[in-house]
Parts: sequence; structure tokens; C-alpha cells
Amino acid sequence: MALVINGPYSDSGHEDEGHPERPQRVVAAMAAVADLRLGSDLVVAPSYSASRAELVRVHNGNYLDELGAFCYAGGGNIDPDTYATLDSWTIAQYAAGAGLKVIEELQRRKDGVGFVAARPPGHHALADRAMGFCLLNNVAIAAAALLSQGERVLVLDWDVHHGNGTQQIFWDEPNVLYVSTHQWPLFPGSGSVIEIGGRHATDRTVNIPLPPGATGDVMRRAIDEIAHPVIDSFKPTWVLVSAGFDAHRDDPMADLRLTSGDFAMMSEFVTTLVEGPGRVVFFLEGGYDLRALRSSILATLSAALGQAHEAETPSNGGPGNDQVERLHAARQSAIETRWSAEDTETTQ
Amino acid sequence: MKPFQSIAVGYDGSPDSTIAVRWALRAAQEADASVTIVHATGLLEHLRTRYSPDELPPELLSLAQQYDFDESRLRWLVTNGDACSVLLRMASAPVNADTLVVGSRGDGKREGLLLGSTSLEVAEHATIPVVVVPSTYKDGAA
Repeated sequence: MALVINGPYSDSGHEDEGHPERPQRVVAAMAAVADLRLGSDLVVAPSYSASRAELVRVHNGNYLDELGAFCYAGGGNIDPDTYATLDSWTIAQYAAGAGLKVIEELQRRKDGVGFVAARPPGHHALADRAMGFCLLNNVAIAAAALLSQGERVLVLDWDVHHGNGTQQIFWDEPNVLYVSTHQWPLFPGSGSVIEIGGRHATDRTVNIPLPPGATGDVMRRAIDEIAHPVIDSFKPTWVLVSAGFDAHRDDPMADLRLTSGDFAMMSEFVTTLVEGPGRVVFFLEGGYDLRALRSSILATLSAALGQAHEAETPSNGGPGNDQVERLHAARQSAIETRWSAEDTETTQ
Repeated sequence: MKPFQSIAVGYDGSPDSTIAVRWALRAAQEADASVTIVHATGLLEHLRTRYSPDELPPELLSLAQQYDFDESRLRWLVTNGDACSVLLRMASAPVNADTLVVGSRGDGKREGLLLGSTSLEVAEHATIPVVVVPSTYKDGAA
């Protein structure tokens, strides 16, 4: 099976010395792609800058104008976490376009697996605000494009941080299902299990908060018991993965204990969620330990492509197993409360 | 209009946020209100912790003493998120603030920068009154 990746585009201009979100991350990601030794099964979709029309499906026009103007004026710190440089606006538009081009190529081929190795990452970016290293919400821009074609999109976010931007953008959208596993408590503070979607999209947001130290077995059980039934009932036609690798045990930004083997298992699972080939795309989000990032991406893509690969042993035995049932019950209760409130409104 | 009962004020260690805390303590003192000083823990703070959630930073303790502020009405809260989202959450339980207070410019911001301005974002999205304290504010106690 072919792997479709985005074409090369220099992101070296988006760098703040000493900041963990740095160009070397994409170098590590591309090294993982090279490790796959795919030969002619590696397909490169040309680099492309997303148009304003594609961006405003997700972002507020004034925000885009402000961000562009800020970068052209030389950039600086947007908040204590998030920076932009003179080149960041151009680079961010190419990062957003990368997902769109990879999807276009998958649609043309009707086959393959997509991987978008572009930065800055996106899942914290809100409709009208940059935050958490993110300027434009790449995965949301891709999901919105698919939505405009009548598709039903599952965004599965396994970055260690909750993708508050993606959740906010599709909060009330019934044709996008947002599923997130993340450490909690942790930045950005959102992602409670009782956040279930807006009034027009009840049960279209599934949050699985995991305690520090949680391992892959806990994550898999929680996904299986809480998210899997919702995904089955949603019947996605595309799966976009916000593939952050900062839940790896070696990553300095958080405290989950996953291994590359866990990412391989998650990746295998993802490919079972949609019917037909050519409908799964992985978007690089976080992941700041370059060695862990490379090995985790290699494990993820190998599994998605059905290639044999010896990844690290999947992790187990961490805390959180005893919380899964309680999380599930709390979520069900939030859904029932919503339905019951709506019934009351209808009968009044 | 009801006087203040519960004031939440953002603090990031910058001079402007210190001025905001001063204003909040003064206003709360006069209204017999409680004050929650809240620090938003960003992504990068996982790498280098700045504030303990269990202990009011000494500079704030000293401010509270300067105003002779009753410590039982003072709460220190360190919570995950960007400053804007964290402050907006203060209007809900458990803090249930009726007023948000912010400095005019936070940590690391460039003068005149609109993008990323916590005070503007908070003012735009808040459901309760917001006080933006100018960096030139002087209350006579300084």
C-alpha cells in the first residue's frame, strides 16, 4: 500500500531558539518515513498553500488578517507558549495546505495511507486565536474540506494534550466526531469526559482523560469501552488522526507512559474504523523527544501500511484502569441529562 | 448594582499583572469581597515549573499583607490552560467570580500587539464584567 506524504517545504523560518516546537521535529518525522524504505510506494503530494476560502471554513477572517499582519511585521510572542516569525504565516498556510493536498491525492488514487509531516501543529488553534504552539488548525481545515464534500469525518486525537481548538471548531457539527485521549489534568485544561458536544451534536465529542502515568493498556481499554461504540454508530467515511507523539514515555512535555508499540496498536485500530482504503490520514501534532518521535512515527506508519516492524513492547500496568468505568458512567449520565432536558423543552 | 463579592484576577508574574492584583485587593478590601488570584500554566511550564499550586508566591503574600487583606478571603489557584481560557473559566463553579481583573499587558507581549492580548480576548468573550487595569495605575499604597 502506498504512503502519501506532503511535498517538501522549508519550515526553517518558523523557529524560536530553544523552543521545543522546532524544525528538527519534521526532520525526525521524515527520517521515520525514510526508515520505511517504501521505494515507489512512497507518493509525494506537491506542497501547496491553503487558500483563504479553505481557511475561513474554520478560522475567523479577522484572525487570519491579524495573524498575517503580525507575522509580516516581524512576529514575536503571541502568548508565553506560542511564537510567530516573519515567515510563520506563509509556513502555516503551507502546513494547512499539506493536509488538503494529501487528501486530494488519496481521493485520486482511492488507495493508500496519508501522513502530513508539517508544522506548526494545529489542534490547539481556536477559530479566532492561536495558542499552545498552534497557529492554524491543520486537521480541522482538512476535516472542514471533507465536510464540504458531504463526508462524515472522525477526528481521533491521541496527542497527550486535549485538542481544545478542534473540539471548539466542531462542537456543534453533527457530521464530525471528535475523539480525544489526553493526560488530565494538563494544558489546556479542557477535555472533561462530560464535554459531549453542542446541542446539535450531542455525543459527537468523546473525551478520554487519563491520569499521569497511564499506559497503553488503559488507553486501549478506555477507547474500546467509551469511544468505539460511538465511532461504530457514527460510521465515519474518513478518519483524520491528530497524531501527537508526546504521550510517549520519553517525551518531556507530559507524563503518560506510552511506547512506540502502543502507537502501532492504535494505528492498526484506526485503519479498521473506516470502510475502503485511502481514507485515513495522520497529521503530526506534538512530540518533542526526537528519538521517540521518529520511532513512534515509524511504528504508526508501519502498522497503518500493514508492514512488519519491531516496535517497543506495548506498555501496561499504569494507573487509570479503575477509572474507565467511572468515566463511561459520567459520560452516559451527561448524555442522558442532555436528552432529558431536550425532552422537557419539547413537551413544554 | 451589587458590589463585588468574588473577584478573580490573572497573575503571570509580570509587572502589569502585579498591578492588576493590587487593584483587585484594594477593590475587594473596600467591598468585603473575596479574591482568587489565578495563574494559568501553559505548555512550556511543564518543562520548568514557576509556581507551586499549594503556596501563594511570596511577592503576592507580601502584597496581601501590605493591604492588610484577610487571608481567609484570598485564594491562590494554579490551573492548566492559556491565560484567556483560564480566566474565562473563573466565572463558573467553583470560583463563580462576578468580576475578572487583568493587567493591560501580560508576560512576554510586545507593546501595541493586539494578537494574543489577554485583556482584549477576555473582554471580548467574558460573560461577567472585566476590569483592565492600566500599567500606570497607582493606588497610593505602592
